[in-house]
Amino acid sequence: MRLALAAAAALAFAPAAPAAVPKPAAPAPLPAPYSGAYQPQGVDEIGLWRMSDEQERALANSPLVLRDEALNAYVRKVLCSAIGADRCASVRPYIVRLPLFNASMTPNGTMEIYTGLLLRVRSEAELASVLGHEFGHFEKRHTLEKFKAKRRGTDLLSWAAVLTSMSGSAQAYRSFNDMQLSVLGGLARYGRDQEREADLMGLGYLNQGHLRATAASRVWRNFILEQEASAAARGLSKPDFDHVAFFASHPASGERADYLYGLAAPDGADRDEGADRYAAALAPWLPMFLDDQIRLNDFGASDFIIQRLAEPGWTATLWRARGDLFRLRGAPRDLMNAADFYGKAAALDPSMAEAQRGLGLSLIKTGRTTEGRDALKHYLALQPAAPDAAMIRMTLNATGDGQ
Amino acid sequence: MWRVMLAAAALAVATPAAAQERTAVRAGFELPANSGKTILVFRPSVSVGAQSTGGMFEPNADWTDSARKNIDDALLARQASLGNRVVMAPESYGEDARRVEEYTKLFAAVSQAVIQYQFFVGNRLPTKKRDNKAGVFEWSLGEEVGSLPGAREADYALFLYNKDAYGSTGRKLLQFAAALGGVGVTSGEHAGYAGLVDLRTGNLLWLNADAQMGGDVREADGAIKRVGQLLEEFPGSAAPVAAQP
Repeated sequence: MRLALAAAAALAFAPAAPAAVPKPAAPAPLPAPYSGAYQPQGVDEIGLWRMSDEQERALANSPLVLRDEALNAYVRKVLCSAIGADRCASVRPYIVRLPLFNASMTPNGTMEIYTGLLLRVRSEAELASVLGHEFGHFEKRHTLEKFKAKRRGTDLLSWAAVLTSMSGSAQAYRSFNDMQLSVLGGLARYGRDQEREADLMGLGYLNQGHLRATAASRVWRNFILEQEASAAARGLSKPDFDHVAFFASHPASGERADYLYGLAAPDGADRDEGADRYAAALAPWLPMFLDDQIRLNDFGASDFIIQRLAEPGWTATLWRARGDLFRLRGAPRDLMNAADFYGKAAALDPSMAEAQRGLGLSLIKTGRTTEGRDALKHYLALQPAAPDAAMIRMTLNATGDGQ
Repeated sequence: MWRVMLAAAALAVATPAAAQERTAVRAGFELPANSGKTILVFRPSVSVGAQSTGGMFEPNADWTDSARKNIDDALLARQASLGNRVVMAPESYGEDARRVEEYTKLFAAVSQAVIQYQFFVGNRLPTKKRDNKAGVFEWSLGEEVGSLPGAREADYALFLYNKDAYGSTGRKLLQFAAALGGVGVTSGEHAGYAGLVDLRTGNLLWLNADAQMGGDVREADGAIKRVGQLLEEFPGSAAPVAAQP
């Protein structure tokens, strides 16, 4: 019976398993010509699309969506240069203010791009590689296939649970246990195969375009470095980037970095990276994205991101963000550092009110009251209508003569 | 233990406790029949589908579309008989549309809180019991509801939520087979709630919630029965709608 159940579990996933990614000996094949506006077929797919339509209706009016026209136009431009103009016409990208490294795509063509992703990628090529991966899920209709796989799996498990409980023998219980693990593990593996297939599709689009395809691999290597920095700051041993856990939803980051590199077209060096254009487009948003990231209370990852952004050169925004990061952790040693960073920000941009505010508060807490009060007064002079003006005046009153 | 696992396999099945209250009216609120008030109805949340053998929700666009239309029609018919004017909220854009979305979400959150912490009597929050508040129904969305599009011309806002999952053939077979073995498996899910909000104060005036509703919303007749149940004990109901078979 055990064997029969295991065979049944295997069958549940066999028919529609996505094509596994070949060993990356060759670059990813170029995508087939796009068939145009695809319409859903069959009751399941039409149902899923209609459900996505409802979700999109809510998303379009969500307060989390950034509606700035310039930023949206820029992201759409990168998306179109990643997947080509014909495919691009079937996507509606939404920029969602969430400080997480992710993007997603629903069956009806709604693409959510988290601001945490925009903060982490460093060039048009890197952003294009992630957006191309998401579009790969859409083109291969992965949500539908996964829905069906999950339904097959849970149907099977329900019957097995009922029959097992009717049979009541210890052997049946053991078989059911095995089968449950094999079905759930099979579903997780199925999901990982879909991720690999989307990676393959994404690299196919990139190879066809004009952006540097090796950027895809770099995204994952940077993510690994960030995870290591995050773990190191907590004193944890670094996560295992080369092996998948039984229920992991995605392939291991190390594996992805490796095969993505192999799948990239080899003419990468001659291609456009778009790092300068990306930095320019992101610059007005950097303070907000950095603030959101710092509030995640992930010191190692946030500091890693700031330091990487500073590689081309420190700016007042980056010094100010690093000051915030240290001041919000708030140990006395952090405040000394924070005051130093805010000082550098203020030197680079004397009109930056937040730098004066942070400088003042850090200095007062480390006992340099007079200098701190000067900075706070400077802050109020720069921004008399600041929302926390009353609180800052209270601090001034509590430490001295008020004004 | 096997029953527990079975319950886990059938995770989409919610069985409400029998001792749950299902409806409440704010103290002092009365809406006499034929009082000629205007009720603004925000786009009801309607999703209709099937329940797979394993208990998953299988969305069905066709059923959802017909249910949406049937429910709208049934609402209009029923309210006219109460002497209230039912107005569908206008299609809104930009800032207005975002406000409607936020208030729809807020209403859903408050309703869930009422269902969890008011209707389950043993579950009431300390703040809802203190100072003899035990029997008091006092919830609000805040005065800002008055800024919703169309709110100025209306007295009350009605929000509706409806979710149906009809048991598939496979689910029914599983239920039957399980019953032979003495194992309980439920088939289908029919949950809904409706609430009336005062557009001047934001107070929740009335809420009705039911996790096991009748009436097949895919049919016009069934939708009339469903709306009748959703609006059961609606303030000012002259006479309860004759129950459909």
